[in-house]
Amino acid sequence: MDITYPPDAERFRARIRTFLAENLPAGWAGVGALPPDERAEFATRWRATLAENGLVAVSWPKEYGGAGLTDVEQVVLAEELARAGAPSGGENDGFGIGMLGNTLIQLGTEEQKSYFLPRILSGEHRWCQGYSEPDAGSDLAGLRTRAVLDGDEWVIDGQKIWTSAGHTANWIFVLARTDPAAPKHKGITFLLVPMEQPGVEVRPIVNAAGHSLFNEVFFTGARTRADLVVGGVGGGWRTAMTLLGFERGGQVTTQAIEFARDLDRLVELARDRGLTSDPRIRDELAWCAARVQVMRYRGLRGLTALLQGRTPGADGAISKLVWSEYFQRYTELAAEILGPELLAPTGPGSGEVLRVAEVGTPNSSRAWVDELLYARAGTIYAGSSQVQRTIIGEQLLGLPREPRLDGGPFAEIRPGKGA
Amino acid sequence: MDFAYDAEQDQFRASIRSFLADHADPRAADGHDGLLWQRLCTDFGAAGLHAPEEHGGGGFTPVETALVLEELGRALAPVPAWGTVAAAEAVLRLGGADVRKEVLPPLLAGERIGALALVTEADLDPARVPVRADGETLTGTVPVVPNGHVADVLVVPALVGDRVVLHVVTEFEAERQDSLDLTRPVAAVRLTDAPGTPLDEGDLDRLLDVLRVLLAADLLGTAGACLGAAVAYAHTRVQFNRPIGSFQAVKHRCAELAVELDAARAAVMFAALAAAEDSPELATAAPVAKFQAADTAVACAAASIQIHGGIGFTREHDAHLFYRRALTGAALLGSSARQREVLASRLGF
Ligand SMILES: Cc1cc2nc3c(=O)[nH]c(=O)nc-3n(C[C@H](O)[C@H](O)[C@H](O)COP(=O)(O)OP(=O)(O)OC[C@H]3O[C@@H](n4cnc5c(N)ncnc54)[C@H](O)[C@@H]3O)c2cc1C
Repeated sequence: MDITYPPDAERFRARIRTFLAENLPAGWAGVGALPPDERAEFATRWRATLAENGLVAVSWPKEYGGAGLTDVEQVVLAEELARAGAPSGGENDGFGIGMLGNTLIQLGTEEQKSYFLPRILSGEHRWCQGYSEPDAGSDLAGLRTRAVLDGDEWVIDGQKIWTSAGHTANWIFVLARTDPAAPKHKGITFLLVPMEQPGVEVRPIVNAAGHSLFNEVFFTGARTRADLVVGGVGGGWRTAMTLLGFERGGQVTTQAIEFARDLDRLVELARDRGLTSDPRIRDELAWCAARVQVMRYRGLRGLTALLQGRTPGADGAISKLVWSEYFQRYTELAAEILGPELLAPTGPGSGEVLRVAEVGTPNSSRAWVDELLYARAGTIYAGSSQVQRTIIGEQLLGLPREPRLDGGPFAEIRPGKGA
Repeated sequence: MDFAYDAEQDQFRASIRSFLADHADPRAADGHDGLLWQRLCTDFGAAGLHAPEEHGGGGFTPVETALVLEELGRALAPVPAWGTVAAAEAVLRLGGADVRKEVLPPLLAGERIGALALVTEADLDPARVPVRADGETLTGTVPVVPNGHVADVLVVPALVGDRVVLHVVTEFEAERQDSLDLTRPVAAVRLTDAPGTPLDEGDLDRLLDVLRVLLAADLLGTAGACLGAAVAYAHTRVQFNRPIGSFQAVKHRCAELAVELDAARAAVMFAALAAAEDSPELATAAPVAKFQAADTAVACAAASIQIHGGIGFTREHDAHLFYRRALTGAALLGSSARQREVLASRLGF
C-alpha cells in the first residue's frame, strides 16, 4: 500500500501550481472573496485563460482539441483548482464539455464531433441538460416530451423542468419520446436542440434559497435536424446513461478537499461563538472531521481504482450519499452554532453555488444560511438519496427488486396499475 | 498510489476466512477454544504478524494483523486474540530487550496467552488505577480484564509513586465473570504481592492508537458479518408474497449500513497503513477508525436482529452473539463519544 502520487503526477502538479500563481489575479483569495458583481466577469476571463493554456476539456483527447490529460493528471488539476478556489470552466461547461462532449466522443458521428466539439470548446455553444420533466423525475424513463419526424426535421412538443443554467445556454440535449408504443425505456431518443428558435421558451424558477439557477423549458413545435440524434432513434436511454457516467469525471479526490476547507471555517465559527468547549458541539465537529477523513480515504481508494482501470460500480451511489447527507448534517451543525443569529442572517452570502462554499467565502451568518438551504438540493438532484439507496441495495447488496407496475408499451401504462 | 490490498493480502484473507469457516464455532468451549487459537498461531502466525521475526513474529505490518483480527471478528472466533495481541503490542512497544526476548516468543507462538488489564484510557489515570507497586511487587484487583481467566501473561497498569507504569506479571488469580461478550469473556484479576517487570514509560498514546486500529478491525469484521447475514436473510424470507429484501424499509436500512461499512473499511485500511508507516496521521486516523467501526458494528448487529424478526431474538441464533461482541468492542478502549473527544482535542478544536 502506498498513498503517494506517482512522480509524473507531482511534476504535473508543480506545473499547475506555477500556472495558477502566474495567472490568477494578484492577491487571489478565492472566488468566494470576490464581490458578487465581479464574479461573472472573472469567470469569463478565467475560462479564456484556461482555454489559452489548453486546460479546458481536459478529458477530451487532443485530436478533438482537448487537453488529453491522463486520469491522474485530471485528478491533480481538479485538486489544485479546488485548493486555489478557481473554477474549472464556465457555468455551462459541466454540461457541454464534461457530459455532452465526452458522450459525443464516445457515441457521436464524425460529423457531430467535428461540428459540435470545437464550438463547445470556444464557448460559442453553451449546453444545458433537458432530462427531467414535471412527471418524470426519479422515474426519468417516464418522460413524455414528444418528438416526431417531419421530413428532415424533428418536431418537439413538451416540457422540461429543473434545467440548470438553461438561461445561459443556447443548446439543450433533450430526451424525447419517439415511440410511445415501445416499452418505456425503448421509445426514447436523445436529441440535440438549438434553443434560439421560436418554439423554445425558457422560464426561470426561483429556488428555495431565493436564487434563480434552474428553469422550465417549453417546447412548442420546436425543430431540430433529423440527424441530430446521438445513439440512434430509440437508443436514447443508453445514451442518457452513458452521459450520466461522465458526471463525476476527475472529481474523485476533490470532495474531501472542499469539505475539509469548509469545516475549518465552521470550526472557526464555533470558536468565535465560544462553542468549541460545548461537549455536544465538539462531538458533532469531531464527527464531521471524521467524515471528511473518510471522504479522503475513499478518494484515495477511488484514485487507486482509476489508476488500475477498475470500474467503480455502485461506488458512485455511496459517494453521492456520503457527501450529500454530510452536507446537510454539517450545515445543520452550523445552524446550531449560529443559534438565534440564524433568524436574521447578515453579511455577504455564499454565491449561489448550490454546493459547498467557495474558497474565500466570508464566515457570515448569511453565507451559512445559504449553504444550509443549498444542502437541501444535494439529496434530490443527480439521483435522490432514496434512489441511491435502492441502487446500493440492488446492485451492491444484490437484494431483490421491487415489483414494477410499468412494463409493456409506454402508451398503455396506467397510474398505479400494471400494463 | 496504491491504496488497496494486494493479491497476497487478499489471498491471505481468503485462506484464514476459509479456515475459520471450517473451524471456528462461536459457542465452543465457553468462549475459549484453546486448540483453535494454537492452530491460528502456528498455521497463520495470527498473534504476531507485525512483530519482528527475531521475537517470533511474522515481520509483516499492522495491515496484516488487522486483516486477521477482522476475520476473527467476522467469524466470532472464541479465541484470546485481543488479550494476546494487546499484551504483545505493549511489550513490543515498551518492553526492554530482555523482556521482549523472554515474553514475546511464547505469546506469539500461541504457547502462552496474554491479557491487557486495561479497558479504557481512564484505567491509566493515577487517581483510578487499582494496582499499586510496592518495591518489586504489585497488589490490587482489576475488575474487568478481557481474556484474563485464560491468560498466562498479564500486562497491567500499576501506580509507582504518582506515575502509572505498565508491568508484566505472571502470578495472579483470575476469576471469570458473567460476561456480555460470550466469545471474548472477561475476568476479575487479583494480584497479591505479585512480582512484576516494569515496561518503559514510553508513548502510551501511540500504543493505545495502534490498539484502537486493531480493535476497529475486529469490529469491522463483526459489522460485515452482521450486514451479510441480514442481507442473506432478506433474500430468502418471504412475507406478503415477496422477499422482505424487496421492501424499501429493509433494503434502504441495509443500504445505509453498507455506506457506513464502506466508510469503516476505508478508515481501518487507512489507519492500519498509518500504523504500518508509523505516520503522524495515526493520531487522527486511529480514533476515526475506532468509532466508525464501532458505531457501524453496533448498528449492523442491531439491524441484523431486527431484520431476522423473532428468530433473531433467540438464544439459538447467532445474531445476539454478534451484538454482544459489537457492544463490547465499542466500549473497549473508550466509547465512540470518547473517541470523538480524543479526535477533537487532537485536532485542536
Ligand atoms: C438544484 C437542482 C438542479 C437540477 N438540475 C437539473 C438539470 O439541469 N437537468 C435536469 O434534467 N434535471 C435537473 N434536476 C432534476 C432532478 O434530477 C430531479 O429533481 C430528480 O431526478 C428528482 O425528481 P423529482 O424532483 O421529480 O422528484 P420525484 O422523483 O418526484 O421524487 C419525490 C420524492 O420521492 C422519492 N422517490 C421517488 N421515487 C422513489 C422510489 N422509487 N423509491 C423511493 N423513493 C422515491 C424521492 O426520493 C423524493 O424524495 C435538478 C434538480 C435540482 C434540485
